[in-house]
Amino acid sequence: MILNVNGSKHKVRTETRTLLDVLREDLGLMGTKEGCSVGMCGACTVLVDGKPLSSCLLLAEQAAGMEILTIEGVGSAENLHPVQQAFLDEGAFQCAYCTPGFVLTTVALLNENPSPSDNEIREYLAGNLCRCGSYQNILRAVKVASKSEAVKVVLKP
Amino acid sequence: MSIDFLEPTDFSEAMALLSEYGDDAKVIAGGTSVVLMLQQKLIAPNVLVSLGRIEGWDYVRLEPDGLHIGALTHLRDAERSPVLRQFCPALAYTFSVVGNVRVRNQATLGGNLSAADYAADPPAMLTVLGARARLLGPGGTREVPLSEFFLGFYTTALEPEEILTEVIIPVLPETARAAYFKYTSLSAEGRPCVAIGALADFDSDGKCKDLRIAVGAAVETPQRVESAEALAYGQTLTGELVAAISEEYARTLDTLSDVRGSAWYRKEMIRVFVKRALEEVRDGHR
Amino acid sequence: MAIGKSVPMLDALARVTGTLDYMINLRLPGMLVGKIVRSLAPHARLLKVDPTDALLVPGVVAILTGADLGENAFYGAAIKDQGVVAVDRVRYVGEPIAAIAAESEQAAEEAAMLLDVEYEELPAVFDAQEAIQPGTPVLHENYPNNIFIHSKLRHGDLQAAFAEADEIFEDTFTSPLAQQASLEPHVAAAQWDGNGLTMWTASQAPYMVRRVVAGILGVEEKSVRVIVPPLGGGYGGKGHIRIEPLVAAMARKTGGQPVKFVLSRAEEFVTVTKHAASITLKTGVKRDGTFTARQVTIYWNGGAYADASPLLVPQGMVRSVGPYRIPAVHVDSYGIYTNLPPAGAYRGAMSSQTTWAYESQMDIIARKMGWDPLEFRLKNLFVSGDQFATGEILHDVHFVECLEVSAKGLELSPSPGGRGVRGEGKRGLGYGVMMKSTVSTSKSQARMKLADDGTVTLFTSTVEMGQGAHTAMAQITAEALGLPVEMVRVVGPDTEVTPFDSITSASRSTNMMGNAVMATGAALTKRLIELAAPLLETPPEELRSENGHVVAEEASISFTDVLKRNGLDSLEELGEYATAFKVDPETGQGVSTPHWHQGAGAAEVDVDTETGRVTVLRYTAASFAGRVVNPRLAQLQNDGNVIFGLGPAVMEEIVLDGGQPTNPNLADYAIPSIRDIPAELVSVCIESEQGELHGIGEMTLPPVAPAIANAIEDAVGVRIKDLPITAEKVLRALREKSER
Repeated sequence: MILNVNGSKHKVRTETRTLLDVLREDLGLMGTKEGCSVGMCGACTVLVDGKPLSSCLLLAEQAAGMEILTIEGVGSAENLHPVQQAFLDEGAFQCAYCTPGFVLTTVALLNENPSPSDNEIREYLAGNLCRCGSYQNILRAVKVASKSEAVKVVLKP
Repeated sequence: MSIDFLEPTDFSEAMALLSEYGDDAKVIAGGTSVVLMLQQKLIAPNVLVSLGRIEGWDYVRLEPDGLHIGALTHLRDAERSPVLRQFCPALAYTFSVVGNVRVRNQATLGGNLSAADYAADPPAMLTVLGARARLLGPGGTREVPLSEFFLGFYTTALEPEEILTEVIIPVLPETARAAYFKYTSLSAEGRPCVAIGALADFDSDGKCKDLRIAVGAAVETPQRVESAEALAYGQTLTGELVAAISEEYARTLDTLSDVRGSAWYRKEMIRVFVKRALEEVRDGHR
Repeated sequence: MAIGKSVPMLDALARVTGTLDYMINLRLPGMLVGKIVRSLAPHARLLKVDPTDALLVPGVVAILTGADLGENAFYGAAIKDQGVVAVDRVRYVGEPIAAIAAESEQAAEEAAMLLDVEYEELPAVFDAQEAIQPGTPVLHENYPNNIFIHSKLRHGDLQAAFAEADEIFEDTFTSPLAQQASLEPHVAAAQWDGNGLTMWTASQAPYMVRRVVAGILGVEEKSVRVIVPPLGGGYGGKGHIRIEPLVAAMARKTGGQPVKFVLSRAEEFVTVTKHAASITLKTGVKRDGTFTARQVTIYWNGGAYADASPLLVPQGMVRSVGPYRIPAVHVDSYGIYTNLPPAGAYRGAMSSQTTWAYESQMDIIARKMGWDPLEFRLKNLFVSGDQFATGEILHDVHFVECLEVSAKGLELSPSPGGRGVRGEGKRGLGYGVMMKSTVSTSKSQARMKLADDGTVTLFTSTVEMGQGAHTAMAQITAEALGLPVEMVRVVGPDTEVTPFDSITSASRSTNMMGNAVMATGAALTKRLIELAAPLLETPPEELRSENGHVVAEEASISFTDVLKRNGLDSLEELGEYATAFKVDPETGQGVSTPHWHQGAGAAEVDVDTETGRVTVLRYTAASFAGRVVNPRLAQLQNDGNVIFGLGPAVMEEIVLDGGQPTNPNLADYAIPSIRDIPAELVSVCIESEQGELHGIGEMTLPPVAPAIANAIEDAVGVRIKDLPITAEKVLRALREKSER
């Protein structure tokens, strides 16, 4: 089957596996990770056609033909996405296992709602767990990102 | 391990596949239930009949006889539908509190109802709204009121080769008020301890013309207590009456026990939240 | 000055781009999938574990069972009672009985199902106090009453002191079984090369792993190399020894093919837990508001194997007394075997359970005696110079300040708009103060290498698990040498190149490794200065290092030049910091810790009296942080501790049925989400610039649960003594109160 990941098409063997496993094992995209396998923690978040989904609960076949965005497609060390820059500036992480999930969810949020209220941010991110407890810095980072000029540039029209 | 992943493009093709494979096949819509069950080895089908490529069944439409929601509508789309928010804000709210945003992006209404998870949110609310499920099977289409659709834990009225295609909610009177309460006892992100769906209608004197209250999450399937609802007919919902109705709910229903609360606690919470739901429909808005 | 700056984490870019190489990402050529087969019975004789049929599954390379283990089959921190896999007896549901290495997960799963296992079930016991009764099942024959350790503290004449009391209070507080629940599970991989082993593991204790694995394999320690990547959370659950012995034994059995084990979330719940505990405090007070005596009895549920409990139970003893002046103190701290998974350190180790007890009792006493809970604490909190129940004199303690700052935090900011629940909410304030020891005997070594390009590499076995340990060490290195922090690289842990460190746990690293790094830096600077002196024609005493240069009054020379002009391509130093304190095993008298960890919290709660649901509206936390290395990272630790602490306070509990966890997943085992945090959470580091480098990893966590319980009592007059403080418990208590 053909998976469209981070703007490139990849041919992967057709087998009953989760999208999470295919991303990690076949495509070597290690940023997406498993934390709970029941869709609760958000460590496995990917964007599919712009929407955050739990890749641990999606069969790869279900996502064939759709645009899949993983953390690797959001930005790189040389070219950080404004959301990543905001997370960096606000120190919105500790062990950072949950960070790709939070970054992707934030990107999706700001695409949908460019000026979210504090409550809207909290509700949207509610399904992402951070055991280290970085929530306060994360909320601040999202707020900062939503106000940044840079983020308005990268958001889809 | 490879399970055949079949992607029919319409429901009749899906029906044909189910007919062909029988017990070897499992229907998958969004996948939040089915993929979880596969991972936990609770099911081992040889074939998955995916409804993911079927077009035209994700809609929220107001028709003369009521609101029609296609079974393949994702909960997140239902939650955000302007038509639904206009028709019944409490139902839009109900969809908005299911799981988290990822779950709602993936799960479909049909899948959610077919899974018949006792701790799901939509069933109780849809039950009081008088919703009906449209089921498509080899023999044709039939309608089942949701009050008769949930039969037990993870068990519905769906026959082996039937698929839920649409949910129809009858038009609500202009004066009707609805409310949904989801009470979580541990984390705010957790599954509910008790869920209450409420619908009420009052005449211009404030006397109750219709009252429906369904309890979910504390019981095996959404439950109404008609004898309690009947106490309200023709009456104003005084504090005393509200207490009597909620007491009757607490007394009558057989509650279950899980990590979110004991059977005793759930009875107590039924009393509290039926009361709060009654107060909300009495004092609040649609 | 690098210390005191909020430098971003060294690998922050990797963290926000998802490129940090966690253990779970490791891939090696020919790597096999490892799978553990686990006991279904809580207690049984293992009559047969026959892999014959399982070995026939295509793709299965090797299967490890108890039969493969020779005399080195058992390990444990002090009592070697735990088998690499179970040998002839299983003692908890989930105990490993075999391990499989296969080419695919599918093959491993098929093989697991074909393993021929026969149990002869034995009666089991799950409750610690039940386990010590005569007639209950004995788990290990050497310990006929299931007590594997009894730590004692005896200070002062207890009976006489109780006789002097005007009132005596006796209360029992309980904490349930819980799980550390790091988002990254336990993961380990290993490869045997015929003579030695390379192991990669998500562990907080690389050198401990090396020692134990070498023992299991019967090889010299230097034949085992342990590499630890950054962890996706540890919180004590990856401290000490977990799956490493099994992974090592499996790696040898495959004959050289590397194998990697990744535990599932459900497996996490049977791998390590937080000790369930029952703590009874008998405390005597006088009407003048002072203490006379305290007697503490703690039953720690250690699970089926002693594991790290022989280290933790004595620490729990010392941590159970509390930060108050009490002339006579006796403690009996018991570690007890039960048919549950082994318990280990859980953030705020042992202090979580003990602070719950002593801080809850503080308010019970205050209310009964008619004293203000805050004043009662302030009157009795230790100050520097006071003597603790171990006989040691306390230095640099700031409990009063921690509490005052926390309390003031609630006073100053106005209460946010209420929950607006039709008058069913009641508000209350509560406090908690924590006193915690760190490890008394431990050692940290650091190696520093200055290269001729002016960069410095710090080799350290301190584990980076999100607390920013490596960043802090880089800052300390930079300060010690007089170099910009950008010039510092941190490498490790890798036992082949990084020197010894006891463990990254008990919030010891900033202090212990920090001191080792300072010592190493000082030594390296001294050598640089000595080498530079002739070049600058200035005596060493008149030189200092600054900004990568050795600086004299009128001239300076870069480190790079110092090396080059001395014909050196690098300069290296090894430094160490160690403490070796101990207490008498019969009396607990001596020195129990190099310094004390201090934290406090103040909570404002709202109690919905109809449902019992408690909302923490506001929380202020304060901890003594000594000389803060990185203010932002310290803030994250403090905030993170409070948020983490909400878990055991109000929602975390492993629910068991016949010794089996019924909720081994994150949907049914609740951990705090973003919607559970207080609307206002402020944490403060109380600093002392001239002070020591201080740990910060746990201090504001233990006060959370008692502060909430105390606030509930303030709000609605009920006392919950059993964690977690669920809405159901509060409602039951409210009902009982109104019935009386």
